[in-house]
Amino acid sequence: MANSPEEVAKHVKTYLKVGAALLFLTAVTVWLSYVDFGTHSRNMAIGLTVATFKTSLVVLIFMHMNHERPLIYKFMLFSMLLLGVMFTLFVFVHDDGLIMRGYQAVFGKH
Amino acid sequence: MEIPYTVTARPDTGLWNAKIGVWLFLASEVMLFGGLFSSYIFLRLGADYFWPIHELNVKMGCFNTAVLIGSSVTIVMAWAGVKMRNYKMYFWNLLITILCAFLFLTVKFFEYKSKIEHYGVVLKDGTILLGHQPEEGYRYKFNADSVTLNFKEADPPYFMRFATKPAGEHGGAHDEHGSAPAEILPIETVKFKTESGKETTLAPADFQALKSEAKAAKKDSLKLTPVQPLAFHAKPSKLASHSEKSLAFLDGTLIEGKLVSDKMELHVDVIDTRAAPDADKSMAWAIFKDAGWKKAFDESREEHLKKFNETHPGQDPMKSDHYLREALRFEVHGETPAAHEAKHKEGVGFFDDMPWAEHHYPTVEIEGKDIQRWSNFLPKWNTYYAIYFTITGLHGAHVLAGALVMLYFLVFNSRWFKTDPEHLANRVETGGLFWHFVDLVWIFLFPLLYLL
Amino acid sequence: MSATTTTHDHAHDDPAHDHAHHEPGWLYKYIFSTDHKVIGVQYGLSGLLFLLFGFFLMMVMRWTIAYPGVPLPGIEFLSGLPVIGDVVVHWTERWAPGGIVSPDLYNMFGAMHGTIMVFMGIVPLGFAAFGNYVMPLQIGAIDMAFPKLNAWSFWLFFIGGMLMMASFFLPTGAAQTGWTNYSPLATTTHYIVKNTWLTGQTWWLAAMVFVISSSLLGSVNFITTLLNLRARGMTFFRLPFFCWAMLVTSFLLLLAFPPLEVAAILQLFDRVFGSSFFLPSGLIQGGKLLDISGGGSPLLYQHLFWFLAHPEVYVLILPAFAIISDVIPCNARRPLWGYKMMVYSALTLGFLSFLVWAHHMYLTGMGTTMATYFQITTVLISVPSVILLTCLMISLWGGSIRFNTQMLFATAFLPMFGIGGLTGLPLAFSFIDLHLHDTYYVIGHFHYVVAPGTIFALFAGVYHWFPKVTGRFMNDTLGKFHFWPSLLFMNVIFGPMFVQGFSGFHRRWYDGGKAFEATTKDLLWTNELISFGAWGLALAQVFFIVNLWLSIKGGKKVTNDNPWDATTLEWCTPTPPGHGNFITEPVTYRGPYEYSVPGHATDFTPQFDGQASGASAPATAPAVASHH
Repeated sequence: MANSPEEVAKHVKTYLKVGAALLFLTAVTVWLSYVDFGTHSRNMAIGLTVATFKTSLVVLIFMHMNHERPLIYKFMLFSMLLLGVMFTLFVFVHDDGLIMRGYQAVFGKH
Repeated sequence: MEIPYTVTARPDTGLWNAKIGVWLFLASEVMLFGGLFSSYIFLRLGADYFWPIHELNVKMGCFNTAVLIGSSVTIVMAWAGVKMRNYKMYFWNLLITILCAFLFLTVKFFEYKSKIEHYGVVLKDGTILLGHQPEEGYRYKFNADSVTLNFKEADPPYFMRFATKPAGEHGGAHDEHGSAPAEILPIETVKFKTESGKETTLAPADFQALKSEAKAAKKDSLKLTPVQPLAFHAKPSKLASHSEKSLAFLDGTLIEGKLVSDKMELHVDVIDTRAAPDADKSMAWAIFKDAGWKKAFDESREEHLKKFNETHPGQDPMKSDHYLREALRFEVHGETPAAHEAKHKEGVGFFDDMPWAEHHYPTVEIEGKDIQRWSNFLPKWNTYYAIYFTITGLHGAHVLAGALVMLYFLVFNSRWFKTDPEHLANRVETGGLFWHFVDLVWIFLFPLLYLL
Repeated sequence: MSATTTTHDHAHDDPAHDHAHHEPGWLYKYIFSTDHKVIGVQYGLSGLLFLLFGFFLMMVMRWTIAYPGVPLPGIEFLSGLPVIGDVVVHWTERWAPGGIVSPDLYNMFGAMHGTIMVFMGIVPLGFAAFGNYVMPLQIGAIDMAFPKLNAWSFWLFFIGGMLMMASFFLPTGAAQTGWTNYSPLATTTHYIVKNTWLTGQTWWLAAMVFVISSSLLGSVNFITTLLNLRARGMTFFRLPFFCWAMLVTSFLLLLAFPPLEVAAILQLFDRVFGSSFFLPSGLIQGGKLLDISGGGSPLLYQHLFWFLAHPEVYVLILPAFAIISDVIPCNARRPLWGYKMMVYSALTLGFLSFLVWAHHMYLTGMGTTMATYFQITTVLISVPSVILLTCLMISLWGGSIRFNTQMLFATAFLPMFGIGGLTGLPLAFSFIDLHLHDTYYVIGHFHYVVAPGTIFALFAGVYHWFPKVTGRFMNDTLGKFHFWPSLLFMNVIFGPMFVQGFSGFHRRWYDGGKAFEATTKDLLWTNELISFGAWGLALAQVFFIVNLWLSIKGGKKVTNDNPWDATTLEWCTPTPPGHGNFITEPVTYRGPYEYSVPGHATDFTPQFDGQASGASAPATAPAVASHH
């Protein structure tokens, strides 16, 4: 891990750059939310994609997940997996056709 | 006896204890907020009303996002400061992080406050009026002939908080800004007569005496008649039911007499006709005495329809949520139609939607029978506000907890900088990991609640 | 900036280091202790008391099921007692007028029986008590990784438990809507009242938030300890199965409880702030349209609840397997058969348990695709469970079994859990579940798993580790008087429930089905039989309580640190272990179950025995932490 003072010093600039990128992306998110993409589902998809990208910057750079111990990856992967299960099944248990309708809402009918 | 691996990492796992601990905790937090986000999706997909979009103050939310992102940078810089053995870098960055946390909470406080003061009223035909209420809030005004106590639950301080003189006796209640709050009578000054003609009050000592008398006589209730004319300006949330002739408080007390008025006064800032079957026949237009408002609404609708037809030729505007929100949800910008028109021409200023901006709105009176339901913008108003307050409330609690933990590190652990810097670095890293998590929850919350 | 001027003089009051330097006072040694053993015992005693109380609630319910409308016996005696007499009179006046159990009381006791048994009884006893006491000893740790957090965990649990208890004395009584607390019923019960904060339903939710937070702290602590504080030579595959089971259980608690916390928080909002998370539009109560926004969904509650509550079943059963997997090899003098297979099964079980929750919700009208998915995963999860049970049975093969009390309980656990598991299989299929849902068949099924299943395993654990905890044995004769009637009466109680369930007896009937006499009359006598079983079971527990109480001071003294000739590390500590557990640093040389290894002088070779043949040098040699 990047623990020696010299290595940490090298990262400091990266932190500032990432901070600036996050601020910029926040502005982009706000702007995008006022743009009419035809359906609101598209706004949702675009907004959440930007948010996911921002989150991954925080996780990878600020939380040092770009170079972490395997054990931590295992914990987090496991909880993300369960979260995925929860997310999808909660919604689909009572609406079998939702995946298709969600797809059509964003990308249109073919 | 010392617990091993509090500072150095165990060779085979490569981790020190608190780092495992905090990541496990975050895994569990992922499930906590994940559960809340899943609930959000579930509620949004199942919503049977128009989900509010851009209804919160985007500027304040945006500002808070920037504050949190900034603090995420400073906390990681504080950690780097310890690692690089640079005390000033550590100290100032940690301090700024804590200040950012409190700044975030302060902004949040003002956001909450403006929502608590904002009301929504659903009319019987589905039209929604939004606005502010006069100081006293919505009250049923009722002249009392008798008060029947139910000794199983009765709690005089509960309903006597609304006791006042009947209208006309405290003169000049109405001024140009609506009715002033009624003067509440102190409990010991209101005299009642029992059926046997004895005079008493409902002050604690007298009430206890009445209660023990009733108990001795094996009676559960007691009917009292007020000696002087008495009225109640009752808060609807404290009532179990009401009719033209009675008020039943939640503590079982029954007031009989005559309902004087259940009119609600509202300073309207939005007329939302989306849920009404026909916007042109909305009940709102009967409530607004000035016909100019309907005209202003029609003009605004025309304008949006024209714009829509230009940008989306050949599409049905009634199928566009965006159009419906713009055209059928009418925002009021002045006290009279003329003032509204002037403001509309001049354009809405950048800071006009901030809590400190001054506004003038038309005041209307809505009959109780026209009201389907009403509430301020709290969890009760709709599931959107419910999930908004729940998630941001929990998130705010996390911000506060994180700030307190970091403050503890700053005050009590800073001296380790010289004696045990690696231990301090570990603490700051642990706190930082939590703080980044709080930040990334917000990164999702901001678009989901404010923007989309 | 005073911090910069701080010098080395102050370094000694570093909070992480100072607790070793002075002997704590009585209060901090036994009450606010941070020692994992004391906390384990605290959890154990409170868990046992909660179990007893939960059982008492059930006996009251069994009375009204067997004899609806007949006054409870003993009320007059209780009313005459000093001090509590007035409370009893006042309380029964409200809930059991004339000593006759009211339907409201039945509902209240039913809801609280489930809640207390699951969340306040078995989890604290199986996971928190045994896990806290035994797990750090078995891995050779001096304490948990975060001792203060451990104490916090107990005290949060304690506050939650006390809130639950206190809620019985609220004007509205305790929660009355089943241990599942389904909305909208749970939200709208005692909803339009003067103060919703002062209702049993609300306190139930608040108490759950405390209990859940307690389990979260506990599970973080358990996992960290298991990963980072293992002794020298204690590789993952030298961990006793007990520790593996605790690891899996901790993960279940860590990741499954937060959704329930969400459910509790949202329902709390619904109750006290009037939101409609779980309330649909147009909800009518008592003929009146409720003043709510609507737009919520009762199904959301069920999803959040069962996302926890199915893994919770494995939180109840895995600690039982943990205990049995120590007791059986030790008393059969045979290695645990299929140790690695059991470990992998437990891990699979843990993972699959997150994927099956909606099989509790077949009746909610879910789509057939999803019902099929949940049926498949549910049937799948029986495979690892069967592997665990089979491995334990095969471990008995060819052993020279010592039938002491703990072994009797452990061997009885196997067929009892087997019955519980097998009767669950039909319920996995939606078409059968539609018929049996909420009948006594379901009650019989899960009680076979947790009552003669888990609770027997907990008893086995108490008899097994009692000598290590107190330095004295429990009496074996009294133990057998405890065991045999318990086994008999457990079956008298839960066996007939399958029959009742098939004939449609519903679990919420407070009169046991008397109101439906036309269809239930042939089987009404079984109500009485089951109730007699319950009272018999209560009598059998007297032997246990007396035995436990008397043995603390008067039991036969333990003369050997390893009285059962067992192999795991906890048996090399002094008896009882002091603060810091081990006198010398423990080292692990071999696997956990080396019983009857051919060529050895004794029929057991402990993990800490470096002299006997077959000892391999510790695979990992983490340096002792020293950063000073």
